[in-house]
Amino acid sequence: MAEEFPVVSADAEALEAARLLATQRLPGLIVTDERGKPCAILPASQVVKFLVPGYVQDDPSLARVVDETLADRVADKLTGTTVRKLLPERPPELPVVKADDTMLEVAALMARLRSPLVAVVDGDRIVGAIAASRLLELAMQPH
Amino acid sequence: MTVVAVLVFVAAYVLIATEWVHRLLAVLGGAAILLALGVTDAEHAFYSHDTGIDWDVIFLLLGMMIIVGVLRRTGVFEYIAIWAAKRAKGSPLRVMVLLTVITAVASAFLDNVTTVLLVAPVTLLVCERLDVNPVPFLLAEVFASNIGGASTLIGDPPNIIIASRSGLSFNDFLLNMAPIIVIVMVVFILILPRLFKGSFEVDPTRVERVLGLNEREAIEDRGLLLKCAAVLLLVFAGFTTHTITHIEPSVIALLGAGLLVLLSRLEPRDYMPSVEWQTLLFFAGLFVMVGALVKTGVIERLASWAADATGGAALPAAMLILVVSAVLSAVIDNIPYVATMSPLVETMTTQIPDQTQAEALWWALALGADLGGNATAIGASANVVVLGIAMRAGSPISFWEFTRKGLVVTAVTIAVVAPYLWLRYFVLA
Repeated sequence: MAEEFPVVSADAEALEAARLLATQRLPGLIVTDERGKPCAILPASQVVKFLVPGYVQDDPSLARVVDETLADRVADKLTGTTVRKLLPERPPELPVVKADDTMLEVAALMARLRSPLVAVVDGDRIVGAIAASRLLELAMQPH
Repeated sequence: MTVVAVLVFVAAYVLIATEWVHRLLAVLGGAAILLALGVTDAEHAFYSHDTGIDWDVIFLLLGMMIIVGVLRRTGVFEYIAIWAAKRAKGSPLRVMVLLTVITAVASAFLDNVTTVLLVAPVTLLVCERLDVNPVPFLLAEVFASNIGGASTLIGDPPNIIIASRSGLSFNDFLLNMAPIIVIVMVVFILILPRLFKGSFEVDPTRVERVLGLNEREAIEDRGLLLKCAAVLLLVFAGFTTHTITHIEPSVIALLGAGLLVLLSRLEPRDYMPSVEWQTLLFFAGLFVMVGALVKTGVIERLASWAADATGGAALPAAMLILVVSAVLSAVIDNIPYVATMSPLVETMTTQIPDQTQAEALWWALALGADLGGNATAIGASANVVVLGIAMRAGSPISFWEFTRKGLVVTAVTIAVVAPYLWLRYFVLA
């Protein structure tokens, strides 16, 4: 069920992570700590949220009054920022499963943590990841 | 019973002031203990105007919260704020002055926290465009919000409590509070350049970025805006004709909220998030605790001591109330403070034969409590909200940064209102 999946370090450049998400159309990235252990999942939606100014998040009607596009903000906001800064202040529980976990276990974890991606680990080692789209693909295959 | 009532009250107050537990838990816990020990009972707590929950206050707040829940969906506030920033032609000082005036006027009709929540995002947008530090602007707005809120019966929760206890009407507040608040605002605007010296430098090339904002896009549903305007006019007409119709402000606010909900055809999920149930419950618990003090005679004894301390004279009493209220409201939430003081002031006013001078005690309480809230970062709910907004925006405001400016604003505003009270109610009355 698990597939190979790009991994980024928490101290990597945020711009590089965003580029990886964009060019490979990924739902998220697995983030690792300094020892290479998975420490968080960075959903693409979290990067999008980071690009939206706080005042627009507080008052969405302000998005309409600004003449600039989101594109104008990407370089400004992400240059000089690390992946760690993109992560939520209090990261939710890390969505990890073992290679021999069932599809239902994986689906239950994804649903509970509302994560588009789960990391598949063997001990501390990442062996791959399962995206929500991959899970659906497998679930819809004729038996 | 008196000792128990005082002990529970003081313990709850300490918990509220120190924030060791959530303030709602403190007042509901206190009320529960008083009910469980029989210091007060259901009859006194739920059905008595003097010793129980003031339902007029609760339902006036509920009605206004629902109205604001619909109103904030119109985008009219954002429209006005951006329009004003563009009229300021990018001058940071002019932007600050216009936004503070808008905040003060809005605060007179909406609660201060809502006003600050509406104006802060627009302020951050304009400051980002001008590339200026938003902190002085946010501070000026929250000060203006606390000042402007003092001008009407519905502008600040302490005023709602005072109105309900004293029987003073919406028009009484307009005629007595609004004039001095206009003067206070003028003085406040005059001290802004000095208060925030060095905060108004701007790169001229950034001005175009403010002028490029399109305020018309803020209003998505013109029909809803017109409906809100019509209902608000009716509500304020109801408030101002109270002396003729004798319909309580709480009933008018509820009727207005109901009418607006019907006309807007919005779903409860659209406007109900604006109802702060925790605040309403906080009020309920507070009224039960203060009611127990009234029932056990504590308030009457305190009023008697206060009357002795001022020699029964109205002017020293008014000045004492003004200064004590400003000082205490700086360190404790002005809502529990006014809820406690109102029955005390009510008793004090009965000992003053001159009606005008007796009323001055209520205005002193309102002005002291409302303006005292500016002194520290924890003096008013809106202050705490602004600190949170600034933190999220990456421009944190420290307690002392707030307090350094807040103390100056409070000292100046109290210095302005003290002679007003003396002149209007004692010299020229």
